[in-house]
Amino acid sequence: MDKPRVAFFDFASCEGDQLQIVNLEEDLLKVVGAVDVVSFREAMKGHSDNYDIAFVEGSITRRSDEPRLLEIRKNAKILVAIGACATIGGVNLLKNFQDLESVRKFVYGDKFFQYETYPARPIKAVVPVDLEIHQCPINRDEFVMAFKALLMGKKPEFPNYPVCEDCKKAENICVFEMGMTCMGPVTRAGCGACCVVEGSVCWGCRGFIDHPNADSEREVLAKYGLSVGDILKKFRLYTGFSEVSK
Amino acid sequence: MELKKIDKPDLGLFLQNLIKDFQVEGVKRKGQSVYGQSFFYGSINAPDELCLDFDCTTMPPKKYFIPPKEELLKFTIAPKPEVAEVIESKPLIIFGVHPYDLKAVNQMDKIFSEGNPDPNYLKRREGILLIGVDPTKVSPRSFWNSMEAASVSSGFDLMLTDIGESYLVEVGTDKGGNLLKKYAKVSSVTKEEEQKRIDVRSKIWNMCKKRALNFPMRELPSLLVNSLNSPLWDEKASKCLSCVTCNMVCPTCYCFDVWDDVELDLTHGQRYRRWDGCLASDFAKVATGENFRETRAARYRHRFLRKGQYLFSKLNDAACVGCGRCAAYCLPDIADPVDVFNRLKEAVK
Amino acid sequence: MNHSMPDGSPYVPKWAEISRIEKLTESEKLFELRLSNGQPLGHKPGQFVEVSVLGIGEAPISISSPPINDNSFELAVRKVGNVTNAMHNLGVGGKLGIRGPFGTNFPIDEAKGKDILFVAGGIGLVPLRSFIKFVLENRKDYGEVTVLFGARNPSEQLFLSELEQWRGRKDISYLETVDRADENWKGNVGVITTLFPKVQVDPAKTICVVVGPPVMYRFVIMETKAKGIPDKQIFLSLERRMKCGLGKCGHCQINNIYVCQDGPVLRYSDIFALEEAL
Repeated sequence: MDKPRVAFFDFASCEGDQLQIVNLEEDLLKVVGAVDVVSFREAMKGHSDNYDIAFVEGSITRRSDEPRLLEIRKNAKILVAIGACATIGGVNLLKNFQDLESVRKFVYGDKFFQYETYPARPIKAVVPVDLEIHQCPINRDEFVMAFKALLMGKKPEFPNYPVCEDCKKAENICVFEMGMTCMGPVTRAGCGACCVVEGSVCWGCRGFIDHPNADSEREVLAKYGLSVGDILKKFRLYTGFSEVSK
Repeated sequence: MELKKIDKPDLGLFLQNLIKDFQVEGVKRKGQSVYGQSFFYGSINAPDELCLDFDCTTMPPKKYFIPPKEELLKFTIAPKPEVAEVIESKPLIIFGVHPYDLKAVNQMDKIFSEGNPDPNYLKRREGILLIGVDPTKVSPRSFWNSMEAASVSSGFDLMLTDIGESYLVEVGTDKGGNLLKKYAKVSSVTKEEEQKRIDVRSKIWNMCKKRALNFPMRELPSLLVNSLNSPLWDEKASKCLSCVTCNMVCPTCYCFDVWDDVELDLTHGQRYRRWDGCLASDFAKVATGENFRETRAARYRHRFLRKGQYLFSKLNDAACVGCGRCAAYCLPDIADPVDVFNRLKEAVK
Repeated sequence: MNHSMPDGSPYVPKWAEISRIEKLTESEKLFELRLSNGQPLGHKPGQFVEVSVLGIGEAPISISSPPINDNSFELAVRKVGNVTNAMHNLGVGGKLGIRGPFGTNFPIDEAKGKDILFVAGGIGLVPLRSFIKFVLENRKDYGEVTVLFGARNPSEQLFLSELEQWRGRKDISYLETVDRADENWKGNVGVITTLFPKVQVDPAKTICVVVGPPVMYRFVIMETKAKGIPDKQIFLSLERRMKCGLGKCGHCQINNIYVCQDGPVLRYSDIFALEEAL
C-alpha cells in the first residue's frame, strides 16, 4: 500500500500548531516516515497539490482566503483542522465583537484600506471538515493519537467530557477554590488540564464539549464574582463562534 | 481486639522505619484554598511530610487501588497477533485513611472480587497495607456519621486514634501486627486509655452530626424507589455541568472505559482502562448513536439511585460513605447527597 | 480480604479466524469464525461476545448462529463504529479476538412444547436468528412457530436465502413487512405491529421473543398485551454499551441490572417496572 500523501496549510494563525508537529522530536521521524509529506511550509521546500490528507491550521479572516481553502478541500480526501484557530476560530474571533473598520486601522494604520477583512471563522464555517484536533496550540500526544488513527483507518476518539475530569485526575486544587475562575466545566478535555497544572486556569481553547451547560457555567462564574461583562469576555475569548452561530 | 499504644514522639520513628523498607503513601498538605488547607495523597519520603489531622482529602485514596489510567493488555498486531495480560502490583503502605474511606475500600474489595473477579484490582490490593486513622476534624460537607461510616470493624491493617499524648493502635490483621512488631515502639494500653479512645471517637462522631440524613440510611432504597419521578431530579440536574467531578472525587465510583492505543509503528499497542463517570453525556451512548441516558436529569438521577438503591442490593449497604467530597467540589452545588436525600424524604412524607 | 484470584486476566481474548464472509446488505456482513483453539464457543442462542480488533478496540456483538458441535460460529455485523468498520475491512483468514460468550440466553428450555412467536425488527433478526435456527433444527421440541420480521425497506432485509426458505416452510408461519416498499416489493407495507392482526396465538401457551431497535419494544408489547400473552412469557434482548462484559464497568447498567450479566435477554415481567429499560 502506498503511503498516504500529507500536506500542511495555514491561514490566519501563529503557525504554532505546525510548530508543535515539528517539535515532535523522535516521534517526528516516525510520523514523517509513515507518510509522504508533499507540502509543509514550516518544515520543507517544495509543494504538490496531490495529497490525501490535508492538515489545516488557522482561521478564515477574509473573503480572499476562501478559494484557497476550497481548493484544499477539493484536493484532500481527508481534511483535518488543527488548533483552536482552525477548529473554533481561536482568538482571531475577538475582532468579531469589535468594529471591523477600527480593527483594520489599529492593525494596519493608514494603509488599512489595502487590507480586506471579514468576521473570523473556523474552517468548518467555510468547508466541511472531517476531523478537528483542538487546543491552542495542539498537544503533541493528541496529534500523534489522531495521526495513528488516520493511518489505521480509525476515527480518533476525542473526549466529550469537560476538563474537570482531567483536572481531578491531575489532582489539582479547583481554581475556583483558589479565588480564580475557569472555563474548564464546559471545555472539552484531552489536555490533561495542563494550564491548571501550571498554575493558571482553563481558558477554553479546546472549545465546548458537545452539550455544554453554558447557562450553569455562567451562573457559577457569577456566583464566584464575575460581572456580566466579564462572563461575556470569558465566553468570547475562545468560544465566541458558538455564540454567533447559535 | 489487640490494642497497642505509640507515644506521639515515637510515631515519627515508626514512619521513618517504614519509609526505609516500603513505599509509603499518605496525606500531604498541598496549597491553601480560600476554604483553608487542601490535602492530597502522595509519597511520604520523610515523617514530617505526613499529615494526620486532616479533615478530608480532595481525592480519595482510590487511585492506589484503581489507577486513573491502567494498562490491561499489551499486544502485537503484526506480523502475528499476540496478546499478553498486564497485571501489576507493588507493595505499598497507605498511612492515614479515615474510616469512611476504608469503608469505601471494603466495598470495592467486594465489588471486584465477586461475580467476575478482577485480577488487576485484586493483585494490586494484595500488595497494599492500610493504616487507618480516626479523624480529628470534620470537613464542612461530611456526613459519614449518617452513612454508618464513622468506624469500620475491618479493612485496615492498623487503625490509629489520637488520644492526646499518644496514638492507640488497633491491630486489624496479622500483617499489621507484624508491621508494628518490627517497626514500632509500642506499649500496652491501660483501661483508662481504652476508655479515652471511646470518648475521643464519640466526640468526633458527634461533631459529624451537624450534617446528617433526617432518616435512617437503611431506608434509602425504598425512598429512592418511591422518588423516581420526583421533580427534584430535573430541578437539580438543570444546573449539572456533566463535568463528572462528583464521579472523580467519589471513593465508591469505579466505572471505567476501555480503549486501545498503538505505537507509531502500528504493530504494537496497549489496551487501557480509565476512570469514567456516569454523569458524562456519552456514558450510556452506543455505537449506533442511541444514548440510553440522554438527559442530564436521567444521568443525575442514575448516580443517586446507583449509590442508594442499585448497589445497595449488591452490597447490602449504601454505596455512599458520606465523605461529602461530591458536595464540596460541585461548582453549581447540586451534588450534596444530604440535601438530595433529605428533600426526597420530605417530599414523600 | 478473602477472595480467590482468577487464573489470568478476563480481558485476554481467545483467537478466531474468519473462515467465510457473506455480504448481507450494503452495511452488513456475515462472518463465520473458527476458534483457533479448535473448541466450540460454547454459547447458547441470545448470548454475545466481545470482539477485538487489536489497536482499534473491542465491541459487543451478538452471536447469530445456533450452537453447533464444531469450533465455528457466526456474527452478522453492521458497520457503525471503529471496530465494526475494521471488521468489514478484514478478509477470510483475518484474525479477531473473542471474549465470551457473555450474558443470558433465549428460553430454549422453557419454550419446549410451547408455541413461539418471534418478532424481529431490522438487525434484531441477527441475535434472534440463533434461536429461530435452533428451533428449526429441533423443530419437534416446539409447538406452533410464527416469525414476524420487519425491515425499514426491502434492501435492508438480512439473510435473504434463509428468509426464502422460511417463506416456503410448511411447519412455520413466516410473515414479513417493510416500512417503505420499493418497486419490486409485493408484500406487506407498514411497521411490524401491522402484522399482528394476521396472527392467531394461544396466549396461555405462547412464548414471545422480541428483538429490535429500542423504539420498537413499546409498540410490540402493546400488541402482545392485546393478544393476551402474559408478561412473564415475553422475552426481549436489550442493546446497551457492554464494554467489559464482566458486570464491572457500569456502561450497560439499567437500574439495578447489568445488561452484560443479567441480560441481554430479559423477561419482560422482570423489567417492565425498570425506568430506563424500554
